[in-house]
Amino acid sequence: MSASTIDQIQRRFEGDTVPLPGKRVRQVLSIVLFFVLWAALVRFGILGFDKFVGPETTLVALVESLAGAPMTEGGETLYEHAAFSAYRVVVAVLIAMGIAIPLGLTIGTSRRWEDALFPALEVFRPVPPVAWVPIALLLMPTFRSGVIFVVFIGAFFPILVNTIEGVKTVEEEYVQAAASLGAESRDIFRHVIIPATLPSIITGVSLGVGLAWITVVAAEMIAGGVGIGYIIFQAYRLLQTEVVAVGMIAIGVLGYASAAAVHRTGHYLTRWEETE
Amino acid sequence: MDSRRRLVRVGSILSVPILWFVASRFGLLAGLPAPVEVVDTYVAELYRDDFWISTIRSTIRVLASFVIAAVIAIPLGLLIGRYTVFADLTFPALEMLRPIPPIAWIPFTILVLPAAELSIMFITFLGAFFPILLNTIQGARGVEVEYSRAAQSLGADSYQTFRHVIYPSALPAIHAGMIVGMGLAWVNLIAAEMVAGGTGLGFLTWSAYTSGSYPTIIVGIITIGILGAASSMLVRMIGHWQVDWATEQPA
Amino acid sequence: MSKHDSTTDDSTTAGPTPETTGKTGAIDINDLTKIYDPEGEHVVAVQDMDLSVGAEEFVALLGPSGCGKSTVLECIAGYLDPTDGEVLVDGNRVSKPDPKRGVVFQENRLFPWKTIKENVEFGPRMHDSIEEGRAESILDEMGLDGFEEAYPSGLSGGMQQRAELARLLANDPDIMLMDEPFSALDALTKEIMQKKLLEVWERDNRTVLFITHDVEEAILLADRVVVMTARPGQVKDVIDVDIERPRDPEVVTTDRFTELRERALSVIREEAERALEQEDGA
Repeated sequence: MSASTIDQIQRRFEGDTVPLPGKRVRQVLSIVLFFVLWAALVRFGILGFDKFVGPETTLVALVESLAGAPMTEGGETLYEHAAFSAYRVVVAVLIAMGIAIPLGLTIGTSRRWEDALFPALEVFRPVPPVAWVPIALLLMPTFRSGVIFVVFIGAFFPILVNTIEGVKTVEEEYVQAAASLGAESRDIFRHVIIPATLPSIITGVSLGVGLAWITVVAAEMIAGGVGIGYIIFQAYRLLQTEVVAVGMIAIGVLGYASAAAVHRTGHYLTRWEETE
Repeated sequence: MDSRRRLVRVGSILSVPILWFVASRFGLLAGLPAPVEVVDTYVAELYRDDFWISTIRSTIRVLASFVIAAVIAIPLGLLIGRYTVFADLTFPALEMLRPIPPIAWIPFTILVLPAAELSIMFITFLGAFFPILLNTIQGARGVEVEYSRAAQSLGADSYQTFRHVIYPSALPAIHAGMIVGMGLAWVNLIAAEMVAGGTGLGFLTWSAYTSGSYPTIIVGIITIGILGAASSMLVRMIGHWQVDWATEQPA
Repeated sequence: MSKHDSTTDDSTTAGPTPETTGKTGAIDINDLTKIYDPEGEHVVAVQDMDLSVGAEEFVALLGPSGCGKSTVLECIAGYLDPTDGEVLVDGNRVSKPDPKRGVVFQENRLFPWKTIKENVEFGPRMHDSIEEGRAESILDEMGLDGFEEAYPSGLSGGMQQRAELARLLANDPDIMLMDEPFSALDALTKEIMQKKLLEVWERDNRTVLFITHDVEEAILLADRVVVMTARPGQVKDVIDVDIERPRDPEVVTTDRFTELRERALSVIREEAERALEQEDGA
């Protein structure tokens, strides 16, 4: 369909020649259509959808899980698995922030440190975090610390790279202005470099949290144990497809909630920025 | 001065194998294969068909999935960015699916899609799809009204405005999305290959772990790293060639 | 010739030190040359420039765009190292920025992450001399009371510029270096700002070096107007503005003002044409 046709249709919509449901209604319609499509695909067995569950069965399973029914054969509830995955993400992201932010500020402000450290770090950056799973399992003393290590790698590079980028794009004018007002280099670091870099750091953290979730699910699927990634894959092996769907919903909700938390915190910390 | 800086940077890179060598020589990282072993294994792998098949498979999967993702996400993103009615009808459903990490889809795709190959490619596709889509939407929304008005005053119809104003203005954002998308395509490909098995560098690396041939793990990681770096360079090159009018930010 | 003019024009400013005059804030620019050499592109921004600004004097630096006015100012501020020559302030060679030399730019450089009050208190805070209520009274004087807790992004352009002036005044500098501070403002706001600046200067006894490309603004504000040549920048002419103070924007209508303006314009025109030719040739 060419853009002009759509434009014409839209113009007709906007010209009120076609009765048009309100914005809210359209958005709800979008979600409703999604579920209708899902149900229809399963009902009519399009592709292999007849091997998956429909929305009604999923809803029942979800309610049961939320009521505290144990997932798969292990006996843990949805909450316990979710708590395990979330704990791994939070710990790994906090460690990544604790290392990547000071390191990024150092590399960004000092050319000497940049030359000494950054090329070595760049060697590791193109390797996807998930590829470290076997090495992490080999090297780390326990299985659980291995998973956290991999998730840490997932979160580390986006935070590091964005922090460095942020420091490098701090406008020299602010540094000059601070110097002319009597600021020493320590004051400049604290009052200019750090606040000016904050928006980039927040971007890095939100990317890092996203990658941490991908990595934690992958690591739990591959390495097993506990966590939402594990139940999704375990349920698949046992052909409990409704549990697979519940697991996907749970991971989606957790991912969304953590992204929203980072966004909110970031928004509060950079409330001085111009709002559009 | 400049040559000294270059020297330090080369030294920084060389410190990685040197530290690795020292660590394994003195047994600091128990279990980590030594560099010499890994080099030997790498050479041996280069003579094995299996290694090459895995490498080629993974590369084709990434490139094909990435291209499909871009071909779908860019037009979709432009439409969502420019037409509110279209956006209202599609975006909420997409937003509902977005927080689910692509790799979490794998049991679903194995069940629903007819071939394992398609499952792995779908996961890889999803990895690239959302970053490109979101950036395209943002790029299309960021186009200044003045440009489209100017084009319309010069006699452009809405298709022409789309083709010559909206699309090129959104290109830098689309390009940024493609760089992120390529990275996430690799992340999800490797995860999918490890989980779904069969062929590919992810499977090669994971089966090296389960079968106890540890040096091969590092061979796999290095190969994945090289291919990852090469493909992100490829995307950057395409970007430079497409967006040459936009002044590059100094690195 | 021009060199001769500018140094002998005002005999009290020949190499003054606080000891000899009892005042602070004298600027001496000796043989200043600044060459930019990024990647072989040799640009002489300023060449062998001499200029003395007396303590508590108000001097406007006027010239075509790209004549190196800002380069001169950045050398005085201590942001740039001269390629050759030197800048002395009260007899001491300038080597780095100092709170005694405050700077205001065309684009405001308020810290966007600090509130207006935090911005104004930044200088005092750096040397642990925050006085309770001082920021408020300066902001009040600048007509910004009630905006203490606002962030710069919430202010209009004119208000931001007033806030920046307030930040400068709170730091109590001897010298105010101003690089086209009002050129981005609308005509009305600009006039208000000019009045404010005159008021503050006439009261506080500070040296002001004011860069502008607006001839009327230069004459309205300054004791002396220094006209610069096109690149490489040098002093072309110095015009004494013998209009009595306190001045207000009304003086623009007087005959003497018109005379001075015509004189400045004729010099400027000549230089602007030369600058255009240079660009064509390049």
